[in-house]
Amino acid sequence: MTGSYAELFFLVFFGLAAVWFGIVVFRTHSMVRSAMALLFSQTAVGAMFLVMQTEFLGVLQLMMMATEMSIMALFMVMFMMDPGGMGAMDMSHQKRLSLRAGGIGLVAALAVSWLPDWGPAASNIPDAGRQVELLGIELLGRSMFIFESAGLTILTSMIAATMVAIAPRKKEGAA
Amino acid sequence: MIVELSVALSVGAGLFAVGLYGALSQTNLVMIMMGIELILAAALVNLVAFWRYLHPDVISGQMFVLIVMTVMAVEMAVGFGIAVARFRSRGSVEMEEARELKG
Repeated sequence: MTGSYAELFFLVFFGLAAVWFGIVVFRTHSMVRSAMALLFSQTAVGAMFLVMQTEFLGVLQLMMMATEMSIMALFMVMFMMDPGGMGAMDMSHQKRLSLRAGGIGLVAALAVSWLPDWGPAASNIPDAGRQVELLGIELLGRSMFIFESAGLTILTSMIAATMVAIAPRKKEGAA
Repeated sequence: MIVELSVALSVGAGLFAVGLYGALSQTNLVMIMMGIELILAAALVNLVAFWRYLHPDVISGQMFVLIVMTVMAVEMAVGFGIAVARFRSRGSVEMEEARELKG
C-alpha cells in the first residue's frame, strides 16, 4: 500500500463522481443538463489529477473543460430540437448493441487493469514547481517536434472547422 | 499491488465503458461527441495514473497527456464545424438522417 488513506479516499470519491456524472450525461433528457453533467465529470477527472499530485495538468484540465463544456452547452441549445428535455424525446438507437459493447469494454479494461503485476509503486514524486520546470524542458527539448506538431494540428483544424462552417457563397446569376 | 493505481485504472475503465455506450447509442452528433470526450477522459486518467504511480521520474508521461488534450480540442473544433455545416444544409444534426454520408 502506498501513499496515504486520504489520497485513496479522494481518488475513489472523485473517481465515482466522474463515472456517475458520465452516466448522467446519457440518462437525462435535457441537453443542457447533459452538458453540465459532462462538465462535472471532467471536473472530477481534473480533481483526480490534483489528488495524484499533477497540479499543472489538473488545473489545465479544469480550465480547458470549463471553457469547452460551456461552448458545448451553447451548441446544444442552438442545434437540439428539444434542448430543455420537456418533450422527453428519445434520441438513442441500437441500445442493446451499445450496452453489450460497453459491457465488453468494461470487462476487458478491468481485466487489463487488475490482472498484471505492475511492480512496486514509485515514491520519488517531483514537487509541482519541479514538474513544470521538467515539462518545460521536455517540451522545448526532446519532445519539441511533437509539441510543434500538436500546435500546427490545432491551427489546421481551426482553419478547417471555420471553412467547413462558413456558408457557401451563392454564384452570381444563380436563382 | 498498488491500490491507488488499480482504483485510477478502474475509473478509467468505467469512463471508457460509459463513453463507448454513449458514442454507439446516441443519434445526435453532439451527444456522440460527448461519448468520445468521455473515452478520451479515460485515456487521460490512465496516463496520469501510470505516470504518478509507476514512472514519476520520466516526464514524457505528462507530455502524452498534453497530446490527448490536444486531440480533445481538435475533435471538438472539427465536430462543431461539421455540425454547423450539417445544420445549415439539412436543418438537423441527427445522424439517423445522414445515411447518405455512408460510403
